[in-house]
Amino acid sequence: MASKVTATGQTAAHGLALQVEDLHVSYGPKRAVDGVSLEISEGEIFGLLGPNGAGKTSTLSAIEGLLRPDSGSIRVGDVDAQVNPTAAKARMGVQLQSTSFQSNLTIREIVRLYAGLYGVPLTRTGIDELLAGVHLGEEASKRFSQLSGGQQKRVSLLIATIHSPPLVLLDEPTAGLDPQARRQLWDRIERLRDSGRSILLTTHSMEEAQAVCHRVAIIDNGKLVTVDTPAGLIENHKDDPRVRKVAHGQVTLEDVFIGLTGSDLRD
Amino acid sequence: MLSGILRALLEADVTVHLRNGRALVLTFLLPLVLLYGLTAGKRRAQLGGPIVDVALALTLGIASIAILGYTATVARDRELGVFQRLRVTPAPTWTIMLSRLAVQIVSMLLMSVVVLVAAAVVENVTLDPAAYLLTLLAVIFSSAVFLGVGQALVGLIKSPDTVNAIGRLSYLPLFALGLFAHSTIFGTTFETVARWSPGGSVATLLAGAMQPTAWSVDTWWALLASVLYAVVFAGIGIRWFQWSTR
Repeated sequence: MASKVTATGQTAAHGLALQVEDLHVSYGPKRAVDGVSLEISEGEIFGLLGPNGAGKTSTLSAIEGLLRPDSGSIRVGDVDAQVNPTAAKARMGVQLQSTSFQSNLTIREIVRLYAGLYGVPLTRTGIDELLAGVHLGEEASKRFSQLSGGQQKRVSLLIATIHSPPLVLLDEPTAGLDPQARRQLWDRIERLRDSGRSILLTTHSMEEAQAVCHRVAIIDNGKLVTVDTPAGLIENHKDDPRVRKVAHGQVTLEDVFIGLTGSDLRD
Repeated sequence: MLSGILRALLEADVTVHLRNGRALVLTFLLPLVLLYGLTAGKRRAQLGGPIVDVALALTLGIASIAILGYTATVARDRELGVFQRLRVTPAPTWTIMLSRLAVQIVSMLLMSVVVLVAAAVVENVTLDPAAYLLTLLAVIFSSAVFLGVGQALVGLIKSPDTVNAIGRLSYLPLFALGLFAHSTIFGTTFETVARWSPGGSVATLLAGAMQPTAWSVDTWWALLASVLYAVVFAGIGIRWFQWSTR
């Protein structure tokens, strides 16, 4: 019988920003998340890699409070997210995979709305300074739909962190961005980490996982397959026959990913 | 914290509403056009007279705002993911809906004031101060009926296009039946059906509120029917409402 992989117990020296234990989420008869456990320590960037439909977004949605898990526990810092979801949400910043805001509001008004929801007092000047800080000063009077993909992601990230949360959840933050915009977003993610925040991000990009994540978990069919640092994953799996079979020369993180999750196309 | 959340939501929802041209047309133009049309019509007496004309204009305004305006914005925002974004903040879900409903009810009250002023100018229909207050109270009851219908629509149907289509289809019979709630043009059976339809109950209630001295057993029944419609439709809408289309 295969032992169950968990992303826990490796960072006990630090305080925990997020602790998920034995999480189960189902959509009718389909089990989307099947016993996922993970811990993220303060200041850590943790990546969740998986093919489409593997359970990444469902795991995140349960942590965010958008889905009610069948079982399992979620703690954000020292708050039980199922007992006190409002307090847990106040400690999290969330960037959803596809975000939209009220179409008739300007970017300045959207920032004002979300600042208000998190109880952050911001003057118009304060909002404009925040927008200028992410190179969106000129766009303050535009609608969200009028921004480019990269600008929309910057607005989303700004709003996700407007209340300086200790934990930031990013669902495929760089999907659809050009290389320049992606690099800029990585810089912002690293600055968040440098300011002491913990980050849980999902991604399809091996390059992104290697560039910004301290640890990476590969998830498939709702279960964690393996967890380690990007370099550790390559080192530990480079001789795995499934990985060797798909590798072209030196083993990469993508080879490990394909080797462990299979080459079949997902939905 | 909660008052800050509600203030932020209300401010945003009011801004969105004021920038929505379609909502403004539905709010003010349609009931005024109907009021003018009924006043100029040759068979106005057969629909029930000036007070009923005003009650019908108010009913049309309330139905338009709720069934065409409210449902369209809720269905669109749900499809875009606006609600999901709000739900990951500390804002309780009831505050998100309360804010939107409050904006709709305030716009219905504003529409009512405009229609009542127009009625005074166009139809010479003036009421006692107490009757004006009672009418505005009846508008709030009536808004619950049609917002309940709207909530049921967005609760049962996910696609914004289908919500729009079904909203338009159901809007006419819901309101048009109300037009004949006080008329035997199509016979007494039709009048009875019309009188106890959502639109008919609301029109009777509003007409009764505008003439408190003529408040009758029928008006009490209309009030009861309105409360029942509101409870049943809102119950369906809340029970089956989903915050996301995915």
